Amino acid sequence: MLQHLLYIDPGSGSYLVQAIIAGILGVIFYFKNIRLRIKSFFNRNRKENSNNRQ
Amino acid sequence: MTRHPASYRDPSGFVYHSAGRLYRQVNKVYAGDYNRLMQSGLYHMLCEQNLLLRHKEINENIRNDSDWHITLLPEQIPFTSYPSEWCFEQLKDAALLTLRVAKIAIAKGMMLKDATAFNIQFIHGRPVFIDTLSFEKYNPSMPWVAYRQFCETFLFPLMIAHYDKMGIVPLMQGFAEGIPVHTAAKLLPYKSRFNAAAWLHVYLQNKFSNKHPAAASPVSFSEKKMMNLLNHLESTVERLSNFSKSPWRDYYAESVPGTDYLQAKEKIVTAYLQKINGKHLLDLGANDGHFSILATKSGFDVIAIDNDEQCINSFYKKTKAENITGVLPLCINIISPTPATGFANKERSSFEERIKPDALMALALLHHLCIGKNIPLEMLAGYFARLAPQLIIEFVAKEDEKTQLLLQNKKDIFPSYSIARFEEIFSEKFVIENKEMAGDTRRSIYFMKRR
Repeated sequence: MLQHLLYIDPGSGSYLVQAIIAGILGVIFYFKNIRLRIKSFFNRNRKENSNNRQ
Repeated sequence: MTRHPASYRDPSGFVYHSAGRLYRQVNKVYAGDYNRLMQSGLYHMLCEQNLLLRHKEINENIRNDSDWHITLLPEQIPFTSYPSEWCFEQLKDAALLTLRVAKIAIAKGMMLKDATAFNIQFIHGRPVFIDTLSFEKYNPSMPWVAYRQFCETFLFPLMIAHYDKMGIVPLMQGFAEGIPVHTAAKLLPYKSRFNAAAWLHVYLQNKFSNKHPAAASPVSFSEKKMMNLLNHLESTVERLSNFSKSPWRDYYAESVPGTDYLQAKEKIVTAYLQKINGKHLLDLGANDGHFSILATKSGFDVIAIDNDEQCINSFYKKTKAENITGVLPLCINIISPTPATGFANKERSSFEERIKPDALMALALLHHLCIGKNIPLEMLAGYFARLAPQLIIEFVAKEDEKTQLLLQNKKDIFPSYSIARFEEIFSEKFVIENKEMAGDTRRSIYFMKRR
């Protein structure tokens, strides 16, 4: 990145905190994804069951 | 050919006036990023979705500048509003627009290098990103250079107004350059510590904000992390709201004069609107925008102002829901309109300097200013005459129950507040063209022209 184009101060510690926040979010989203997958897996089973019954 | 007094921060270029039009010069130093914006398809993609202000390229060095790369003639904006004049929902939409633009930019290999609310203007009622020079080449290994600015100018004011159920206008007026993180941490209530978004973006950031950059070891970042961050900011902002009950919100729905009064008033105002020369109307004390919207139906471009943020909030939501484009609702107090601020008091001009209406509309407002705020009729007549050459104004008599409500806890020091004195005083500045009673109430509506 051209240094002179960095005309706003990103703020001391701002890069570090973003890295930490993004790291935490990555973990949260990872588990959310697993939960969603499990949920959709059971929902699919339920749907198939109800379809079979019809 | 004068450089716009607010256009000095970014070395990439600047905005200037020439022959009544606003131009933007792109400097040589920004040529690479500008070409990338145009050639990557990002510009067209954003313009197609009406997210970015359109411009025409002019291959002429109008200012004879050695730094010149290209001249842009952007679509001209009829009225410039400032973030301190927006209601909560408007600032929220501006924040969401910024994040959306950032996400689209990343998909095209670019990123926003700044994220201030001043990059956004409301055009035909909708927020549009206006700073063409805010884009730079995206480097996936770097965090967002404008993250802190986004937090300070969008996220923190919205969060504080959300948690404290307070108005956003005083926050934006008091912190025009954004709310520093340590101040935000102090202004947020204790319970916000249990909210993940507040904890991450406010309290955690506050812990790190004092860390000196000398200790900045190269941080590892990726596009996935950036998208996580932007998506989280987006979902956080989407959840914020500062709805609260305002005494003014249901003024027309609940007010005692009732529907006969409203119908009569609509009829009179519609007839007066036909007499107005010009299409620019300033609605003072617009409330929920009932009459501003009525004016848009007669083809007016309306700037509607009210001191009550909750009114402007629901008014703005209504324009969004019903796709009304002819009116811009703003939180401006007519007895203390936005002053000129910024560098040399020139950077951001006062409300009066920006507004050039053909007519004013002041319905059910005069008694609040005279009796509620003790402003003499002479001063109001003078001010209104200075603002616009035509005036639609309603006089609410002292005997009216709404006026009596204002006098309930107040000594009646207003002997001159009568219809006769009103007509006499306003006749010094205006010629009264029409006068009609709204229903059988003690309210009269006038159409006047400046002498």
